[in-house]
Amino acid sequence: MTFLRTHRTLATVIAFVLAYVIIKVLSILPLNNGDPLLNAYYIQLIMLAGINIVMTVSLGMVNGFTGQFSIGHAGFMAVGAYTSAMITTVWLHTSTANPWVGYPVFIVAILAGGLLAAAAGYLVGAPSLRLKGDYLAIVTLSANELIRTVIRVTEVLGGPRGLGGIPKFTTLEIVFVFAVVSVVLMRNYLFSSHGRSMKAVRDSEIAAESTGINTTRQKVFVFVFSAFFAGVSGGVFAHLLQFIHPDNFSFMKSLEYLIYLYVGGSTSISGAIVGPAIFTLLPELMRGLQKWRLVIYPLILILTMIFRTEGIMGLKEFSFILIPQHQRKEVSA
Amino acid sequence: MALLDVQHLTQFFGGLRAVSDFNIQLEQGEIVGLIGTNGAGKTTVFNVITQNIVGRKTYQITQAGIARTFQNIRLFSKSSVIDNIKIAYHFRMSYGNTDAFLHTRKYWQGEQLVDDYAIDLLRLFHLEGHAEDVSGSLPYGAQRRLEIARALATKPKLLILDEPAAGMNPAEADELMEMIHWLRDKFDLTILLIEHQMRVVMGVCERIKVMDFGETICEGVPEYIRNDPRVCEAYLGKGA
Repeated sequence: MTFLRTHRTLATVIAFVLAYVIIKVLSILPLNNGDPLLNAYYIQLIMLAGINIVMTVSLGMVNGFTGQFSIGHAGFMAVGAYTSAMITTVWLHTSTANPWVGYPVFIVAILAGGLLAAAAGYLVGAPSLRLKGDYLAIVTLSANELIRTVIRVTEVLGGPRGLGGIPKFTTLEIVFVFAVVSVVLMRNYLFSSHGRSMKAVRDSEIAAESTGINTTRQKVFVFVFSAFFAGVSGGVFAHLLQFIHPDNFSFMKSLEYLIYLYVGGSTSISGAIVGPAIFTLLPELMRGLQKWRLVIYPLILILTMIFRTEGIMGLKEFSFILIPQHQRKEVSA
Repeated sequence: MALLDVQHLTQFFGGLRAVSDFNIQLEQGEIVGLIGTNGAGKTTVFNVITQNIVGRKTYQITQAGIARTFQNIRLFSKSSVIDNIKIAYHFRMSYGNTDAFLHTRKYWQGEQLVDDYAIDLLRLFHLEGHAEDVSGSLPYGAQRRLEIARALATKPKLLILDEPAAGMNPAEADELMEMIHWLRDKFDLTILLIEHQMRVVMGVCERIKVMDFGETICEGVPEYIRNDPRVCEAYLGKGA
């Protein structure tokens, strides 16, 4: 166990692999009258949950840990989704037939989507993060709708009909690898000197400046890498559903991520994992309640926010997320 | 050669001249006080020096060696005590964004270094026992000490204290006076402070400037200031 205490990446990976193994076993073992407990539909839902986790954790970097208020995260997801789909579908006509060609192209495509989303993030963030206050909320909201509208009127991107025929590259394994890599990278960043400056900006921007931190640069950088992960999530999303539509990425979608984040706990990575995991799967688990689930779902949200104002996780982290403190040498005074 | 040389500083807020033609020279190792009634322009002078030097951003001024504390304490209240110190060390940190994402060897070395540095600094301020506590939960006096420690973590040449004795009882103020002398000697600092408690100012400063309605009305050693009629007038009014 001492080994796990010092090798935190491994600890996080093990936690995700365990989750993967459980899901995989449940999707194979015939526990449900000869059928597996998790059918293809549930597996798809779990994959969506995985994508939503990365979206929410990256949103949490900006909203929870840096104290800014971005409400257009789905816009960056759209940039990544359309970019990667254009690369695999239109330009390269990649089919799934030959995985040796397909997967490298897919990986390049989603990374390109991430980079373009990061560029969009820079264009949105650089001017508005210089200002203090709530400008970012207005600007991100507008950018979200702007991106969606531009896609709607661009014929090459499928316009209002949406873009179909995207090869299905996203598998359960891909989602898990993507989620664990993203979460580990962002967790690492948070548990670093740079992560501490993020929290300093959140707690008091004036004090952060006067302790020598270039707060504008720190905010813009976080915003840009957050947009990057949203873009890559969009790519993975597009190659899961195989059909994307501009309305998939409307402000309502951004709102969903805000709900996941604040219900899960905005100042905790674990919260940003628990929130989307529960609330992507919850509507499905309540299927038995039929139309009453549309009443129960918001009720659960309200009750959570009343009884756990800081979200389900509050400030707590799962132990597989935490980076423990250094072992200090005892020095006699 | 003075450490800090401010000449003809004037600041307007709309039509109000908050500070007019303010001059100050600070020599290495001095402890200088800035006093005056409410609204005399003391804090404005502080803010101009620490935030408004033309062509420099606030963080660049700090990196150049001017650190400050705030009248109303501004700690990173949700972060731990030791993280407050580490944040002030950030701009000296040896690793970059890539090391932060990947937790490279350079990251671990940097973290070890800053942790040792921060715990040593906390020890000097008798805060090492609270290292992992949330800084917002510290008692008031400890928060004041932590704010000074955080300012020192930027390794300044000039430390600017904005009403460090605000809200302190006489015993705590005595401790503070001792600490200010100790700080100057231990960290090789020059100190500029604003203070309302005359006992503190008179006890600790080697040189005092008195401001009234944005003008500098008097300057000198504490003994001289104490007996100056203009100072009495500014504080007590004419005919007092």
